[in-house]
Amino acid sequence: MAAQADAPASSADQNPQNPVVEQTTVDNRWGSKVEDVKESYPSSVFVNSQPIREEQVQNAVKFLSHPKVRGSPVIHRRSFLERKGLTKEEIDEAFQRVPDPTPSVQTTEPVVTNQADVQTQVPTQVVQSNPVLPAGSASKLVTDSRFHWSYAILAVGFLAVSGAGTLVLFKNAIIPRLKSWIRKVASEDEEEEGLLKKNNGKPNIAEEAAAAAKVAAAAAADVAEASRQMLTTKSEEKKCFEELMRLLNAQVHELKSMRTAIQMLEGGRSTNGKIVAEQQDDNRFLGTSSMQPYVNGKTVLGSHSVRSSSRPAPADPSVAPHPKSYMEIMAMIQRGERPSNIKEINDTPPNPNQPLSNPRLAPRPKPWEVSQPQTNSTNILQTQESSESSNYKFPSNPLSGGDAALWWQRKNVRITEFEAGNENKPGSSNVLGNEQPARRSWVPPQPPPVVMPEAAAAIRQPNKPSYQKEQTTDNQLLAPSPDVTDELQRITRIPEAGGTMEANGKTSVLSTSDEIQAEENSRY
Amino acid sequence: MPVFKVPFNGYSVKFSPFYENQLAVATAQNFGILGNGRLHVLQLGPTITERAAFDTADGVYDLCWSESHDSLIVAAVADGSLKIYDLSLPPASNPIRSLHEHARECHGVDFNTVRKDSFLSASWDDTVKLWTVDRPASVRTFKEHAYCVYSAAWNPRHADVFASASGDCTTRIWDVREPGSTMILPAHEFEILSCDWNKYDDCIIATASVDKSIKVWDVRSYRVPVAVLNGHGYAVRKSCLASAALPLCFQHDTKVVLDVGKMV
Repeated sequence: MAAQADAPASSADQNPQNPVVEQTTVDNRWGSKVEDVKESYPSSVFVNSQPIREEQVQNAVKFLSHPKVRGSPVIHRRSFLERKGLTKEEIDEAFQRVPDPTPSVQTTEPVVTNQADVQTQVPTQVVQSNPVLPAGSASKLVTDSRFHWSYAILAVGFLAVSGAGTLVLFKNAIIPRLKSWIRKVASEDEEEEGLLKKNNGKPNIAEEAAAAAKVAAAAAADVAEASRQMLTTKSEEKKCFEELMRLLNAQVHELKSMRTAIQMLEGGRSTNGKIVAEQQDDNRFLGTSSMQPYVNGKTVLGSHSVRSSSRPAPADPSVAPHPKSYMEIMAMIQRGERPSNIKEINDTPPNPNQPLSNPRLAPRPKPWEVSQPQTNSTNILQTQESSESSNYKFPSNPLSGGDAALWWQRKNVRITEFEAGNENKPGSSNVLGNEQPARRSWVPPQPPPVVMPEAAAAIRQPNKPSYQKEQTTDNQLLAPSPDVTDELQRITRIPEAGGTMEANGKTSVLSTSDEIQAEENSRY
Repeated sequence: MPVFKVPFNGYSVKFSPFYENQLAVATAQNFGILGNGRLHVLQLGPTITERAAFDTADGVYDLCWSESHDSLIVAAVADGSLKIYDLSLPPASNPIRSLHEHARECHGVDFNTVRKDSFLSASWDDTVKLWTVDRPASVRTFKEHAYCVYSAAWNPRHADVFASASGDCTTRIWDVREPGSTMILPAHEFEILSCDWNKYDDCIIATASVDKSIKVWDVRSYRVPVAVLNGHGYAVRKSCLASAALPLCFQHDTKVVLDVGKMV
């Protein structure tokens, strides 16, 4: 099927090159498929082929060298870089370049010589950081909370000290000022008095007393003002204190709610698996807040798949209102109640080794997989197909509703044309089974895993040594992927091997399809 | 228009590749938050009739029909298991298989339309697993995402290539022959809930995200999207590029919206 869909252009390109070219275009498609399998691997479209961007790598190195980032788990760092658009190669290069705990190894040193060291260090660092991850996140929560408390205590202490200091300063500053001022006033008065004496020649006690009283009043006024100022500063300090206490209380509330959430997490694990895990995730992310700023540790259990609709960024898509019954259920679950309409259902398979039933229909081609229908044999086959369409095993009553039946049959006729077009496709299938042996003359495209490819090859190519044929096709397909597990190799190789072998062996359409029919029946 | 009301909340709908008027619906109780699930198999006609229904202990988030067997359905269940149902067997014999390997909910399942023998499951445990129907254990596990994987989709033309959409805001393209992902598309700023390939151009992929937008990308030049389709009022839960190369999108409030965006 993939071959057919691999664009007619590619098959056209490879027509002159393909040594196995037959007259029918079908074989071209299969032949080109083999070519494509070889070619698509090294030049696959689905691989990033852009070169490493040095600027991005350097930005990533700066990011990774940040001390706060160093403390976060590796997976979060990778995820952040991936979201910034770096490719795998760039991220790997950045990780290689970032020095390990020794700060002396900088990027200025020649990277080549140190890469070996850093590479060995990085995997160990990764290994070490991974088991530390859950513990680290938990401890981070604690340290964060501790930070807050110590910060609070420090702030309170600082304020108190500063208040006392200002008081003392005021006292120390004002008193000498007062005294000096009194002295100045007194001295002025004395000078006045002296002048007066000179002028008048006679010290007046009353005047002295008045002057002294004035001075005293002024001093008293100053003292009053000073004390007023002190009071205002005190009240301001009080206000600051109160504000601080309010903030602290808010923090305490948040921490408490987190604690209850954790308790819910541990207590309600059996029933509220999903929500619990979600809260766990949010807590996990909260612990590493350096990279992903989340507003609150409280989990807003928005809808299930929209876990993070409350995640904050300023461009956060606003959460639209939900139907009332949904909110009711959400509230119930958040309170820890279990909705009453849940039943205990045992959905385990009654017989886990139940053999699969035989399929009654062959797979049909998808609308996008059709290229052009065959013209030669379509006429012959169409009549067969259309007679057969009425024999499709249909589960319920297809002929009850007139419109429905007609529509369905019309559709089937159209599809049988396509199917006739693809009847040249090789492939054995256990789909056919014993029910429709000779009536179906087209063979579905993709063969299932062939149990004994050597036997199939031997049956189909009696002239050529089958083992050799198997070898060549196997070599063709073996080249690209040595890393893939054996099972996967078997799955990928065998259908392709089955397909290609049949493609190469096919001479004429009808005769071989009959052969295949007979062979299938004999096998199953 | 005929209507069939399912008792639970719907999560996924798929037509059978063998019978045009047969479709299956995956539903979950209580909006899928906590509760049972049910898989309905419906028959279209002058009215919609229910052919079969299978109850599950946990919600069914997604389903896919087998491409090689006309009566097999694979269901992704919220308890992390995959259940395989055979419609030709009586309901008492179903499910015929329960594949439980994921540690968290299984959110997406997709059958390979090219090779027709294998399928993928996308799970909230950050992994995608590759299975075949005849094996009790997974063939491959793809673990690279940093957060839940919401959906996985096979490429309609290349039998080994698939894409996965994840809550870590990236879409990855994988090749089963390679040990890791081959491309990383940082497609959105928020979680990506769904991805799908263009059936007629195997290099075009559409991603749908919590940010209410759908972006269409060409993997050959993936830095800039080909198109950005806004206009949804809620997060886009599922998008599939239909045969007419127009995206069909499901909004989060379970309405079906045909979003006609101009695609290059």
